[in-house]
Amino acid sequence: MKPVEQSPVLQMQGITKRFPGVTALQDVTFSVRAGEVHCLMGENGAGKSTLMKIMNGIYTEYDGQMLLDGHPVRFANPKDAQRHGIGMIHQELNLVPELRVYENILLGRESMGIGGILQRRKMIRIASEELARLGVSIDPRRPIFALRIAERQLVEVAKALSLHARILVMDEPTSALANHEVERLFSVIRALKASGVAIIYISHRMDEIYSIADYITVLRDGRTVASLPAGEMSRTQLIKHMVGRDISEMFQRDIVAQEAPMLEVRDLSLTGRGVRKLDHISFTVNKGEVVGLAGLMGAGRTETLETIFGGYPPKQRSGEIWIAGKQARIQSPKDAIRYGLGLVTEDRKNRSLVLGLPIRSNATLAALRDMLLPFGVVVRRRERTAVQVKITELDIRTPGIEVPVATLSGGNQQKVVLAKFLLTRPKVLLLDEPTRGIDVGAKAQVYQIVGQLAKQGTAFVIASSEMPELLAVCDRILVLCEGRVTAQFKRGEATQEAILEAATRFTEVSEMSV
Amino acid sequence: MATDLIRSSAPNFNRKRWLNFLFRFQSLFGLVIILILAVLFSPKPNGVNLFLSQRNLLNILMFASEVGILAVGMTLVILIGGIDLSVGSVMAFIGVIAADLLMNRHDVPVLGTIITVGGWSALAILVVCTLVGALIGFVNGWSAERFKVPSFVTTLAMMSIARGLARAWSNNNSIPIALGSSGEQLSQYGSSGGFGDPVFGLLGGTIGNTGLPIPGLIMIVIALIFGFILTYTAFGRRLYAAGGNPVATRLSGIAVGRLRIYTFMICGALAAIAGLIHASRLNQGSPNESIGYELNAIAAVVIGGASLNGGKGTIAGCIAGAFILQILDNILGLNSVSANVQLVVKGLLVILAVALQQLRPSTESA
Repeated sequence: MKPVEQSPVLQMQGITKRFPGVTALQDVTFSVRAGEVHCLMGENGAGKSTLMKIMNGIYTEYDGQMLLDGHPVRFANPKDAQRHGIGMIHQELNLVPELRVYENILLGRESMGIGGILQRRKMIRIASEELARLGVSIDPRRPIFALRIAERQLVEVAKALSLHARILVMDEPTSALANHEVERLFSVIRALKASGVAIIYISHRMDEIYSIADYITVLRDGRTVASLPAGEMSRTQLIKHMVGRDISEMFQRDIVAQEAPMLEVRDLSLTGRGVRKLDHISFTVNKGEVVGLAGLMGAGRTETLETIFGGYPPKQRSGEIWIAGKQARIQSPKDAIRYGLGLVTEDRKNRSLVLGLPIRSNATLAALRDMLLPFGVVVRRRERTAVQVKITELDIRTPGIEVPVATLSGGNQQKVVLAKFLLTRPKVLLLDEPTRGIDVGAKAQVYQIVGQLAKQGTAFVIASSEMPELLAVCDRILVLCEGRVTAQFKRGEATQEAILEAATRFTEVSEMSV
Repeated sequence: MATDLIRSSAPNFNRKRWLNFLFRFQSLFGLVIILILAVLFSPKPNGVNLFLSQRNLLNILMFASEVGILAVGMTLVILIGGIDLSVGSVMAFIGVIAADLLMNRHDVPVLGTIITVGGWSALAILVVCTLVGALIGFVNGWSAERFKVPSFVTTLAMMSIARGLARAWSNNNSIPIALGSSGEQLSQYGSSGGFGDPVFGLLGGTIGNTGLPIPGLIMIVIALIFGFILTYTAFGRRLYAAGGNPVATRLSGIAVGRLRIYTFMICGALAAIAGLIHASRLNQGSPNESIGYELNAIAAVVIGGASLNGGKGTIAGCIAGAFILQILDNILGLNSVSANVQLVVKGLLVILAVALQQLRPSTESA
């Protein structure tokens, strides 16, 4: 589709933003037109979020100027930006889970009658109209916690539009969505575009960008390196712009699997609140083998890994786990680690890291028992050396080991999580979405690390929604659907289509329609 | 324009770093400030600064010690994201038990035989009472874990239970403690008029004629021990981790629930020690003592810069907090400000401490 030729609604000119010690943005120019989907690309730390935070009035101190409809503006705070028609859908959605859909959409703008009594019916009507405009039929009376991530996102979009947003920033909106949900989001985006809303779209997924973008701007190291119509920038060029170097054969690795089972899962089942979440899952992972778990959201990938790792109470699960030929009685993550398992969770910030603590403490959290004198006194020198070695091995970019992990980029945080479990010298590593929200360069590094460790005999189970990555990295791919294994492919046999087909083999009529 | 901004942002940056430093040692700065104020506002009859008199300073050390000891335990509990409201009641309960075991003898029927309990030595009482405190802490922590409720609830319950037990045990009377000189042990069963182990008096006493309060020394030793534990041991490290992110810590193979229970046990044991000191100091075990001490301890921890969300706080901070509170009480008392006004000022101070933490410059990152 040809972008509508008209003057930009929003222009950012010569934007420079400095933080103590770093220049996050250097003379960045960025503009977006009405009815345009503008993809903002760049590795983590390239300056995308900083730019968006300036646009949304979160950062108010910067050099350069912003023009809205040709008039200079400077937002005092996020509310101010909102009033000027700028809406932002954050990666971590800003909804109140306990409240209902309509209450969320109209939060702070409730319709009230005499004496401040809420006019529930009127609010529900307004909310349904907003949702109908997007062409989605979510019952506005449902509480947010009962909605799937994809639906929550649409509620956020409806909320932004009800605030008369003319410019909508979407920060990695699809990182938690399955393919068909992505499609639905895209049709909403296309409808918004047709109604003249400008959309700034941030994502790491290449496929998506080319199916939705009109225009692409690439940031690298805080500078604009390219800004072209999507049709004029090839995928290779785009990657090159982003990383500043050619990455060919990013995820290649040697096959080193041996016929020696390291992890055997037999009839693993999990029930929670009366719902069967995993249904007799069985598989084997050999020494040095990398096995992938594919499936849609809610298929049970995360549950499989966390159940193996002892994350659920023993009475909720059944089945056997054998590690290196011996049955393992895993009651808790503590047991799992003792048996030689490691788990890198999909939610790095909430489930893997203690953000306020330094790299050192995070990296040694699981392996601390190997660094103790009597009475549990930590041998600081041994600890520091161990962490230093991992920082070098994994190429963690940091000013030092005492830096809080919160200040690291996503890719480096992920490497700290890896370091934490590598220090326990695991036999089997379970990785859940190991490349979510990290940049292309770091993705390649993560899989390089996987390749090296597999060569040394570590077995891997990798759950991911990034099919191209699974196809490139795994020796074998299991496909899950509704907590069952519906297919198994050897390397080379698997295709995206075959995986998708197996991932949608529902037992009964799908309840996925909205 | 660009150069302007660089010039204007440079001192800005320095100011921020300075502020950061100030906030990091907030409690110590607070302590220095309040010391200076106390010296300035101290009454000076005949040119003698009452506040700085040796007796007054030793008094402050004496009176700060009980809250200081409570605050150490409370710091551990708060670090892991809990709270213990029962410590004041536990102090009173322990005081009553200790006084009773020291002064009286009871015939207790156990499995058909009759065992006489009481008239114990101070050491036995110290050991048993500390264990009872730890046991109460265990109940606090275990029930919070088992029933998955905030420790606010279980310790609120224990606050009531321990107070009730203390009153029931002593029939709502205080049990007087009379200590003999060594050798003059309790002579009769269940008597009044006998003497308890004189060593018990040391707990709340002073060292010889130096006037150095033993409770202060006990507090310092406890603070040093737990300061070391928090900084240099795996236990301490795990407390900070579990307080900062319990899920990530559990998935790193650490039994967070058990850790939480340990902190409550330590907090209970330290409350027991504070209770023993209190009883020894007052020469009685009274069921109506130490009301509101839990709030003083929490206030000390908060003034010391800890976060009630867990994961942040230090022993040095909470001890500084305890001293700030005590010096405030002391200087207001020296100036004959009424106790009621003292309470108001104390409350304002807590709000100030929390407000200062909010002002703490957040580290923007790209």
